[in-house]
Amino acid sequence: MAQLTLKNLGKSFDDTDVIRDLSLDVADGELVCLLGPSGSGKSTVLRMVGGFETPNRGAILIDGEDVTRVPPEKRPTGMVFQSHALWSHMSVAGNVAFGLKLRGLPKAQILDKVQEALALVGLEGYGERRVWQLSGGQQQRVAIARALVLEPKILLLDEPFASLDQHLRERLREELRDIQRRLGITTLFVTHGQDEALALADRIVVLRSGEIEQVASPDRMYRAPQTRFVAGFIGSMNFLPCDMRGGVSDHPLFTVRAAVSDGPVELAIRPEALTLLPASGTGARVHRVTDYGTHLLVDVDLPDGGRLKAMCPPSARYETGQEVAPGASHVALFRGDAKLAEVTVERRVADHV
Amino acid sequence: MTDLASSGTRRTGGTAASNGRGLTGLLLVSAPVALLGWLIIYPIFNAIARTLLAPTETGTAFSTDTYVRFFSDGYALANLWLTLSVTAVCAALLLAICLPLALYLRFAKSRVAGVVQGLALFPMFVPSVILAYALIRTIGPNGGVDLVLNALGLPKINSPYLTPWGPIIGLVWDNIPLTTLMLVAGLGAVSDNAVEAARDAGARPLALLRHIILPQIGNAMLVVLSFTVLSIFSAFTLPYVLGPASPEMMGPFMQRTFSQVMDPRMAVTQAVITFAICAVFGAFYVRSIAKNREARR
Ligand SMILES: Nc1ncnc2c1ncn2[C@@H]1O[C@H](COP(=O)(O)OP(=O)(O)O)[C@@H](O)[C@H]1O
Ligand SMILES: [Mg+2]
Repeated sequence: MAQLTLKNLGKSFDDTDVIRDLSLDVADGELVCLLGPSGSGKSTVLRMVGGFETPNRGAILIDGEDVTRVPPEKRPTGMVFQSHALWSHMSVAGNVAFGLKLRGLPKAQILDKVQEALALVGLEGYGERRVWQLSGGQQQRVAIARALVLEPKILLLDEPFASLDQHLRERLREELRDIQRRLGITTLFVTHGQDEALALADRIVVLRSGEIEQVASPDRMYRAPQTRFVAGFIGSMNFLPCDMRGGVSDHPLFTVRAAVSDGPVELAIRPEALTLLPASGTGARVHRVTDYGTHLLVDVDLPDGGRLKAMCPPSARYETGQEVAPGASHVALFRGDAKLAEVTVERRVADHV
Repeated sequence: MTDLASSGTRRTGGTAASNGRGLTGLLLVSAPVALLGWLIIYPIFNAIARTLLAPTETGTAFSTDTYVRFFSDGYALANLWLTLSVTAVCAALLLAICLPLALYLRFAKSRVAGVVQGLALFPMFVPSVILAYALIRTIGPNGGVDLVLNALGLPKINSPYLTPWGPIIGLVWDNIPLTTLMLVAGLGAVSDNAVEAARDAGARPLALLRHIILPQIGNAMLVVLSFTVLSIFSAFTLPYVLGPASPEMMGPFMQRTFSQVMDPRMAVTQAVITFAICAVFGAFYVRSIAKNREARR
């Protein structure tokens, strides 16, 4: 049982506010991803939870207990850093055993726990290796074992897989997810990769310039982004500027009806919500087709100079320069950063041309 | 076929190129090696030979008489002993002062660290001669400290400047900058994350120092120690300028044996003995550096 509560946290470095006013509840056994572009303050939040930075304002509670001023060595948190955090003068087992030794556990018990932790991350029999003999992925496994062996209430990870290659990153991500589920440990995971957040998290917190932009499950975050920033940051999104006049958009290709006051808006359409039908007179032409095997990604040049990305079934055939009529099944309307409406539209095959 | 042929030519080309590079390298190395031989290796052997060949009526003959005299002369041994103990005390004091300083400079995030660094480096820009006179003017008889004590109606201090503590104070002060710099460089190898991970695992400051920081800078400490020992053991200017003392450090002792006692062979013998002791530390220094390289691979 471990809950984490952040209450109105604020942190400034050299008089610049890095975290403004951040509140968050993480439930027992939940894996929450802090997602945001680099410099948005993710690490700062994590380091405050771990005790490495002291907040200027607000409080951090673990199981209802205020730990805001508790130093890291006394906090029930375990941290995994991005890299270079293993102690190179110790063996793998020495790294994992260090915290247990400090706690004065009997030798036999330490041995057992170290074995168990190494087995958990798939490194049985690596105990006697030196850490610099391990690959990057193995080193991060050791770092995870080292954090977990102390049975922290909260596990903190700061972009732990960022320096690994794509394949390894995906594998370790799945393994971490399994371990986290098995142990039921409350986890805060920092990443700037939206795919990582979507794959791992129970809940995603999108940070932007030290403020929470949106908190939602991966599925809601992707399908119902609440701000233009989130819509653009998670997954790919087509944004088409146009004007609303009397509840109808004046975009030449997308006629969207919504109860929205007159003025400029942006139509936000996911590539997979687009269909391309062969047509003439629309002025929209196929620019390039990329075959990803599972789908085609079609770039379409619009008459106003903009460009669309559409995801099409792999069986479809398009030629470069071919004229098409794009249609959207789902459109969100943004004005500035705020979402005005979400509309499911019926197709209009350029019948007004 | 073309593939094979082209790779064949490329291989021969490579050998030729590497041969050329080898020759250039040899030429580049030969100049310093020649200088080393001429200015250092040759004088060493020359000096050793001069101490071992005693002049007789018929020419020269092999003799170890100067060494026997040195090691049976109580005063010479007292000087050697003094130099060794001054060196040991200085090294211990330097580590005791510079390690906390270096730890502070490496890990403190406050703005005061910059000021402290400036102060720590300051002695490096003060020549030993000036330092020696400054020492005499402050802790010497009727120096600054005495004036202050006198003004307060207190008795004068028993001036330490001609006792071994004179050179010790000066040499420690003089060596603080380099020692601190070398330790800070060594501490650079300890990453912030490694330290934070240790705190996360429950290490308090002392455990952190003992189990994480010191083991990782062990080699750097050896380098620092051998380096400071080398420079202090052979120190000359400061003890010389501070004035004649008894017993005296090896540097002034040699100088006096040469110019006042007029026994150049004995002076050279003292130099050879000093050199032999320094060479041991030198070997130590080279070994620590080699180990450092190996550890970094
Ligand atoms: N110790 C520090 N001193 C000064 N500024 C810092 C410090 N740590 C972080 N910052 C600043 O805070 C902002 C957020 O940093 P960080 O939390 O590391 O972002 P992220 O992890 O999202 O990339 C950045 O602008 C960074 O320059
Ligand atoms: Mg970061």
